[in-house]
Amino acid sequence: MSYHLPVILFLLPFATAICMPMVGSRRRGWCRPMALTAVFAMCVAAVINLWIVVEHGETRYAFGGWPISTSLPDHPLGIEWVNDGLASVMLVALSFLACLCLFYGGAVTPRSLGARVVLYYTLILLLISGLTGIVLAGDIFNVFVFLEVAALSAYALVGIPGGRALIVAFQYLILGTLGASFYLLGVVFLYATTGTLNMADLVQQIADKPELMTSKAVIGGTTFMFIGFGIKMALFPLHGWLPGAYTRAPDAISPLLAALMTKVALYGWVRIMFWVLGAGAEIGQVHVLTLLGGLGALAAVVGALLALSQENVKRMFAYGGISHVGLILIGVSQGNSTGFAGSMFYLINDAVMQAGLFFIAGAAIHQHGARTVEDLSRLRQSPWLIGALIVLALSMIGIPPTGGFFGKWHIILGAIEAGNYLAVAAVVVATLLTMAYFQRLFVRIFGDSQESPSAAGAEMHPSLRLSVGLTAAAVIVLGLCSDPMIKFFRGVAASAGL
Amino acid sequence: MLEHIEAALLRPNYIAFVVLFLWGFFIMVTHPNMVKKLIGMYLVQTSILLLLVTIGVKQDATVPILQGSDAVLSTADQMTPADYTNPLPHVLTLTAIVVQVATLGVSLALITAIYRKYGSLDEDEILQRIE
Repeated sequence: MSYHLPVILFLLPFATAICMPMVGSRRRGWCRPMALTAVFAMCVAAVINLWIVVEHGETRYAFGGWPISTSLPDHPLGIEWVNDGLASVMLVALSFLACLCLFYGGAVTPRSLGARVVLYYTLILLLISGLTGIVLAGDIFNVFVFLEVAALSAYALVGIPGGRALIVAFQYLILGTLGASFYLLGVVFLYATTGTLNMADLVQQIADKPELMTSKAVIGGTTFMFIGFGIKMALFPLHGWLPGAYTRAPDAISPLLAALMTKVALYGWVRIMFWVLGAGAEIGQVHVLTLLGGLGALAAVVGALLALSQENVKRMFAYGGISHVGLILIGVSQGNSTGFAGSMFYLINDAVMQAGLFFIAGAAIHQHGARTVEDLSRLRQSPWLIGALIVLALSMIGIPPTGGFFGKWHIILGAIEAGNYLAVAAVVVATLLTMAYFQRLFVRIFGDSQESPSAAGAEMHPSLRLSVGLTAAAVIVLGLCSDPMIKFFRGVAASAGL
Repeated sequence: MLEHIEAALLRPNYIAFVVLFLWGFFIMVTHPNMVKKLIGMYLVQTSILLLLVTIGVKQDATVPILQGSDAVLSTADQMTPADYTNPLPHVLTLTAIVVQVATLGVSLALITAIYRKYGSLDEDEILQRIE
């Protein structure tokens, strides 16, 4: 039973998604409870899975019993799923955030959906199962398929409100498909040179024939894969689709996308970078990690600068997310376990923070109609929203009791250890800019405003209150248990050869 | 230089791949009409499939089903792998086609909804109308 746990984790949302139209067409009211139950069961399974992996080490799942062993005389014929430390932690974070987003979504689901609410929940569950697949896949083509399953659901979900959202969704689709095509092209190149798609086998092939790493096909393939993932993770020059899509998406959907889509794409790249290519990979004469670090530093600073200049609150948070993807890349690219562990810890923190910020932005629109920074003074009537915003802002900036601090601290420590002071400077500048844009928000909220407080809006929906409160509590809890988590990720880094 | 050109000319499929990919990419990025953007997207995806099929070609080989005298052999190492093609590139192609069809379906649905709302398929025109 425990051997099949990774597949059960995937099947829970996937099977429910398939049953949803059958059940939902008769009883529309059942959709939300069904989706919530499935994702909650997924949370429980993910925690059990994490416990098993920590106790008994990683497991490799072979589909249909086809051999996946890479030691001769066997060849990995089957499709493999890898359930190791990193994947199991990601799964816990993913399922908990998905559960929270679904829970939150109930209060702000667009009323106009009508009977289509059935398909809405189907798409959300498909998105979650696609992301689960990316996290678990141990086969580069499998990653492509799940990337598309998740992305196709995301395109449709972004377009739900109609109007402007449709155009943004179309732009997202064009760029997202381009990213997936680049990734597929990279897969074809790697397959043509090595004759395998299995990640573990690719490692073996590259170790057996070191000259592969300098061949043009492998270099080209890796570059195309990186461009593909770069578009999916909204790395700075390729981020064009993200702000529009997150701003226009329904309020119930943007937390889900912001928390999970870019982070899982980043995770996918980390997998390929460290588990397939190895930390010492070079393109031409340039170290890949050096290149990544430079791109990350650029994204961290420019993303935060762009966030500072935004008027729309959701758009500001979206650019904040772009900046944080850069920060995570900086940590990953230092080539030591401190930076890697810090980055992975920050990745999970960032997923929680992004979810929380978009919860708050959505609740502000829902409760007070506040879309722009100007309108935020109306938030004064909702102590819950402001309290959560303060905690999340502390974490975004990186102030001690919160998780954001410990992640950033280890990223900086890693950069100092690697003697990479440019990266340290980039992290510090990005932090200062983050502080600046949150300052703007708080000046608006607490500063003097001419606007007389309107009659207090409707009481905040308890599910909004709970999900906002839970994310704020989660960043503090993450901060408090940062020590064991960083230790755990150091162990993961050691298994990746750092 | 000359031998590079000669080597390329001997492999027309690869030239076709590069031309189709770049052509599709260009249309996808520059054309304001949404349906034409989709055509560009389709070209990009199809060119990758062409590459995938091309690398799967093996001369004088047949489908990977044991044939003739091989069918009565008992162990795998007695047969001649050179006689059979690798089925994997074709399977990957099929899977990628399915993904492509799904993408096309979603994008056409989006375009239909956009056309119903704005009465135009020109991205520039729609954005101008919204301003």
